[in-house]
Amino acid sequence: MKRLVTVLAIVTALGLLLAACAAPVAAPSAAPAAADQSAATTGDQKTICFAYQDLETEFWVAGHKAIVETLNELGVNVIERNANEDANKQLEQVKDCIAQGVDGIIIIPQDGESAVTIVGEANKAGIPIGVFNRPPANDSNPTLVIVANNEVITQQATDYMAEEAKKLGRKVTPLIMVGDLGDPNAVGRRQGFYNTIEANPDLFNEVIEVPTKWDGATALANLEAAMQANPEVDFLFTSSDFMYPQIRSVLEPLGKWKKIGEEGHVILGGLDGDSRACQLMRDGYVDATGVQDLFYEADTIMQAMLDAIAAGETTPEKWMDDPGFALTQANWEEKAMDMWGCKLFAESGESLERTFTAQ
Amino acid sequence: MKTTNRQHLAQLALQNTSLLLFIVVFVVFGLLAPRFFALQTFETILKQASYIGIVAIGMTFVILTAGIDLSVGSNMYVSATVAGLVMQELKAPVWLGLLVCLSVGMLFGGVNAFLITRVKIIPFIATLGTMVAGKGIGLLFSRSIQIPYPDSVLELGSSRLFGLIPLPIVIFLGVALAAQLVLTMTPIGRQIYAVGNDAEAAKKAGLSVGRVLTSVYIVSGLMAALGGFVSVAQQGVVHPGFGEGYEFNAIAAAVLGGASLFGGVGSVLPGTLLGAVLIQMIQTGLIFTKVDIYIQPLITAAIIFSAVLLDAFRNIQLQKLRRRNIRIDKGALVGAGDD
Repeated sequence: MKRLVTVLAIVTALGLLLAACAAPVAAPSAAPAAADQSAATTGDQKTICFAYQDLETEFWVAGHKAIVETLNELGVNVIERNANEDANKQLEQVKDCIAQGVDGIIIIPQDGESAVTIVGEANKAGIPIGVFNRPPANDSNPTLVIVANNEVITQQATDYMAEEAKKLGRKVTPLIMVGDLGDPNAVGRRQGFYNTIEANPDLFNEVIEVPTKWDGATALANLEAAMQANPEVDFLFTSSDFMYPQIRSVLEPLGKWKKIGEEGHVILGGLDGDSRACQLMRDGYVDATGVQDLFYEADTIMQAMLDAIAAGETTPEKWMDDPGFALTQANWEEKAMDMWGCKLFAESGESLERTFTAQ
Repeated sequence: MKTTNRQHLAQLALQNTSLLLFIVVFVVFGLLAPRFFALQTFETILKQASYIGIVAIGMTFVILTAGIDLSVGSNMYVSATVAGLVMQELKAPVWLGLLVCLSVGMLFGGVNAFLITRVKIIPFIATLGTMVAGKGIGLLFSRSIQIPYPDSVLELGSSRLFGLIPLPIVIFLGVALAAQLVLTMTPIGRQIYAVGNDAEAAKKAGLSVGRVLTSVYIVSGLMAALGGFVSVAQQGVVHPGFGEGYEFNAIAAAVLGGASLFGGVGSVLPGTLLGAVLIQMIQTGLIFTKVDIYIQPLITAAIIFSAVLLDAFRNIQLQKLRRRNIRIDKGALVGAGDD
């Protein structure tokens, strides 16, 4: 018993130490508890329930912020619910919102299947519902959906990269870091990349594909192997911006982590539009990045939701595409601040003034 | 005489199926893509196998006791995240970051050991629970944001001992050697095998089964943390998805290396080391040979499945061969006389 108490004491002490380590981390700008306001609808003020699966990446943190800011600007009362990546919990949270008599529901679902179920619940209750950026698995239940067109966005970025490649006056060897093949976003991005390849048959050698499973360590290992097998690669597209640190780790020892205009520069592009991509574009390492236009997505679904509420529609149905855009070195001056990652980057006190000179 | 030699040869081959499979895979990929035979390729394979190999060494300790540790992936994430935060927020030096990382890993292993030996929860359920809890704790600490490591860690991860051998490989081989020595030349090593073979008998023989189990889960936690640090030292950041599914690679490496999930059988050298390198070699080989990315998981699964089948076949055949040896005692004596 004495030993048991000792062990428990040690575990508790170390647990407290860990908690202390976590303390310096800043909480997201809009913590759910803080933002959870009264559900009561006062006068003409509308109340919208915003239920999201979690904020596990910078993208979702920015998406959350874009939606909350949009709602606040429109004077809408917001009830926030974080499901912590638990689809069942999210369903219960939405049922709770329905019981509170909200005017509309916006969800970022855990997955496409659970989205169908949650939308069904809202349909039964006669409350309009919208799904943000992660579409339901099927269209059996009517809903508003805003989703990025990954294929089109990727192609915009890779088309720009192809134009840069043409300036070299020779064929280039393309490589794509493919995401999880079970994820429609990854499949769409791969297709967008191939659209560019197929449109320029005289520009490209055989494509090298590197599976990553959306995992940093797998991406690093497979990219290193691919670069060893194909050292001639000089055109690289990553299906997500989060893999730039791994790309740098592989290219730098090979002398290929070079700025635009420097000898040995690999034409580099990605998709997401996060703050790291923004920094690397500013510094001249990345040529283009496809951007999911979070601000457009937030505005569009909010407007569709408010229109549906105003028209008294209980089960509105509309599929809205975010065509996104490509931030390139050519349109940096005009478009940089439209990219959510650059906005976050600038908000952290960083300058967007480019630090390199293309030769 | 010829029969005896053939039997010995068959026995030798069966005892080294992992090594034979390793050689076959290496040669086949090399013939399909000649660059695969380059020394640099082998170095890359070893380097990329290092972190999962280190985790698999810890897993081997656990599997030898007939246990399992499903929480190693979450452990890697939590320990690497805490170390990253300590270095980032407190501006701690790298050695302190590493120390914190290993301490958190051991604490994680200690919690597993406590649940298994004191609360008497079976290892599968206990570590499944800590796997889920660990991931949650890691996300709570990181707030789902990537944790960048200082450049000095990245430099460490890409440095070479005497300018020759990449540091991750040195750490991997060093840990493997130390683990093998512990398992084969120390009392605790023999006790681990004894507990894995028959925990009840080990208890009756006076061994403290609880102490042995506590040791192996703490070792597994320590190895998971070290493996995580080695991996992050090569990447430079801890991503929120870091560690997810790595437990399966670690288990596969240990089993491919000949460890039995029923306990009591297995080794780190060459066993687990070969298993970890084999898994990475298959992945690298598929990249070199440009196999369709939709087909790659099928080929990987087929090779791993073949290895496990071969292992099962090996055990059956070895049992048969040993039985024959008992029966042919007289013949063997006659053969010995002929010599």
